[in-house]
Amino acid sequence: MNARTVLKPLAMPLALLAIVAFFAVKEPAFIGARNLTQLLIEFSIVATLALGMFMIILTGNIDLSVGSGVGLVGGVAAVLAFNHDWAAAPAMLAGLTVAVLLWFLIGVLIVKQKMPSFIITLGGLLIFKGLFWLVINNSTVPVSRGDTDTLFSLLTTYYLPASVGLAIAGALAIALGWLQWRGRSARLAHQLAVPPPSLALAKWLATTAGLVALVLVCNKFRGVPLTLLILGATAFTVFFLTKHTPFGRYLYAIGGNEEAAHLSGIAVDRIIIWAYVLMGVAVALTGFMMTAYSGASTTTVGDLMELDAIAACVIGGTALKGGRGTVWGVLFGALIMTALLNGMTLLAVSPELKFIARGGVLALAVWMDVRFSRA
Amino acid sequence: MPPLLEARALTKKFPGVIALRDVAFALAPGEIHALCGENGAGKSTLIKLLSGIHPHGSYEGELRVEGRVAAFKNIRDAEAAGIAVITQEFALIDELSIAENIFLGRAPRKGVRIDWLEMNKRAGVLLADFGLSLAPETPVKHLGIGQKQLIEIVRAMDKKSRVLVLDEPTAALTEQEVDVLLEHLRRLRAQGTACIYISHKLDEVFAICDRITVLRDGASITTFATKDATVPLVIKHMVGREITDLFPRKPTIAVAGAEAALVVKGLAVAPSPSGPAFLHDISFELRPGEVLGFGGLMGAGRTELLMHLFGAWGHRLAGEVTLRGQPYPQPDPRTSIARGLVLASEDRRRYGLILHQEIGFNLSLSSLGQFTRFAGRVDTAAEHVRNQHFFDAMRIKAPDQRARAGGLSGGNQQKVVLGKALMTEPTVVMLDEPTRGIDVGAKLEVYELINRLTAEGKAVILVSSELPELMGMSDRIIMLHEGAVGGEFTRTEFTQERLLAAAMGHAASSAA
Repeated sequence: MNARTVLKPLAMPLALLAIVAFFAVKEPAFIGARNLTQLLIEFSIVATLALGMFMIILTGNIDLSVGSGVGLVGGVAAVLAFNHDWAAAPAMLAGLTVAVLLWFLIGVLIVKQKMPSFIITLGGLLIFKGLFWLVINNSTVPVSRGDTDTLFSLLTTYYLPASVGLAIAGALAIALGWLQWRGRSARLAHQLAVPPPSLALAKWLATTAGLVALVLVCNKFRGVPLTLLILGATAFTVFFLTKHTPFGRYLYAIGGNEEAAHLSGIAVDRIIIWAYVLMGVAVALTGFMMTAYSGASTTTVGDLMELDAIAACVIGGTALKGGRGTVWGVLFGALIMTALLNGMTLLAVSPELKFIARGGVLALAVWMDVRFSRA
Repeated sequence: MPPLLEARALTKKFPGVIALRDVAFALAPGEIHALCGENGAGKSTLIKLLSGIHPHGSYEGELRVEGRVAAFKNIRDAEAAGIAVITQEFALIDELSIAENIFLGRAPRKGVRIDWLEMNKRAGVLLADFGLSLAPETPVKHLGIGQKQLIEIVRAMDKKSRVLVLDEPTAALTEQEVDVLLEHLRRLRAQGTACIYISHKLDEVFAICDRITVLRDGASITTFATKDATVPLVIKHMVGREITDLFPRKPTIAVAGAEAALVVKGLAVAPSPSGPAFLHDISFELRPGEVLGFGGLMGAGRTELLMHLFGAWGHRLAGEVTLRGQPYPQPDPRTSIARGLVLASEDRRRYGLILHQEIGFNLSLSSLGQFTRFAGRVDTAAEHVRNQHFFDAMRIKAPDQRARAGGLSGGNQQKVVLGKALMTEPTVVMLDEPTRGIDVGAKLEVYELINRLTAEGKAVILVSSELPELMGMSDRIIMLHEGAVGGEFTRTEFTQERLLAAAMGHAASSAA
């Protein structure tokens, strides 16, 4: 084992620690309960999109259109809810349908017409932005009327009651423990190696402590934000899909070697289309949350979010060539990206510098990807 | 007068392989000299040395040009010495015109800009001198393969080349185009240009060459004057090996009346729906427990046939394929695997493996359905057990199944590819060059595996470029020649001379 293989898994936690320490020293409010809750909401939004992007990048494709898509889908729902008086649920359902159809179309164009994903989604970036501005008529469309709370507006303003947050953390801890124990006994039944019980127990205890601490911090402000729950559900789904189903295996196989995957009997076309459809779902979820977080659909919602999502994947160790990456890595990458943005906003860094920092982090992440892929 | 080009005691080693050993070769001024040999005899390596692709210092022995030692560091050096290599992959740029291609990198200039008038004028003169009625401004993409080849020769001649090396120049040409090419070569010879001519087509070799040098297993065997040689004599020298008992084939007793595993009737396949047929009128039957060998020269269509049957290549123009009694009109890899037909590809790094993934990931990739439980969850424990079974059965040499496939030796990668194919529980197993690039011990394990498969009643198609292996392991052999069946042989009829003659399109009786 050389220095690189030892340092690699530690690089991200260290980077995150450094970022948090830097901002905490510069502005102690950064680690206050209020700001941390804020940060968690922003993290949930970026990470949900990044998880969709993750599955696309795994296949060796890319999607540059998601930022505009976030604006468009949120805009569709907002216009239906505000201008046409639809209830929040059907308005969002309509937005979701639009997203799924559009991303299905993108997937079909990529696999059936053999269009490079980079180009078709670059086109999508512009087309969706244009459609978005048409839909909202270049104006500002609030997500709900007056001060009334709807399902839509509550997405980013609802916090779980303290006790419910704790209950969910407890239930999660129990579920995780049970899953771990089950996996362990299945491996033991097949006489496969398992880690020592003390290590497994320590891991579970650490996870539980982390969960409870998270909830306690949130409870110091208003409670666990609803968006975190949405992210949790998304992350669990993507984790299950990529790690525990043939679909996930095929994503990795296609990204690793598309020709070999095809000759191994994998329906490459269908898998890629599915990955884009799931991206569409992630775009819709992100679109609703982002629009609700802005309070209204305006022309800038979703701007450059595709780059944040890609950066989160790459920072998290997802190879742009495809075939490599983990859900945990993507979550980490999104957290680093969000912490950076949130911290800079808190320090009132000028927009110019924020752009430069964002780009710098992206370039750095890609550089790391190139370096480590070669290894 | 010293030879124009001479190789003395050339030895070229690659890791684990000696590609050339002690090769001697001399090209006289103004002669056309053929290089003959089986696939892998060392012809390509020799050319790469002559043309500077393998630079001076990477080999032992010496190259001399007109008696002086030549130390080519790269292709440019060889070109400067007057050696031009024309391979099957043309070095022409399709989008550019004929004139631009001829003067690529050395266009006539007027100040900083290209002098188009001058360039086209000079190209026109060259083409006319060559007897080609082509406009110099024609884009190369509009030319046929034969014409492109001639353009390459025109370019080489304009660069004052004294030695033309032609590697399989007629592989893709029609008969008329071949005649035109040979006519040009005779004319160039009359003007003093020497030529090294590499071809599997012995009739061409005899039609045009002055001398023939035969290579076998990386060594230069002999050089004849063409007038003293015959086709059978050349073939005999090309083959010249004894079959040892390296091949432990135990023919299985065919079950009388058993249904054929695979029946192919009158198959014709084109690379694309609009293209001309590449495989023509191929028919055969494959019975359970049988090993059917397919041989042929490079480009004869062996790999294409297997890839097509599996569903990964070409467009079927005609013919019927019946797999286990059911028609199989539109193959694709997924359906093939589901119906019990698998292919272990020749190019395992490209088509066989996900290199950076673990051995286990690769082994089970085609068989995940076997472990899929409720809600599409893969039962990884059950998968691990099944992987371990194949890991052990294939005797893969690695610490465990979590080692990366890319880090394995060629032989072990081959075992992973075979293990992946076999985990799907196939009934027809197609093996394309299963022992290419693997060591003798691993080869033996592959042969034993073939015996085990046929003993279990599976049918095996074996493609191999090595005749001894093909003869040693097959119950029956079909030799392909230019995309069609060149001859079919049962075990008692196997001789290398007969098979090679069939591969070269000569009637079986004219050899031996």
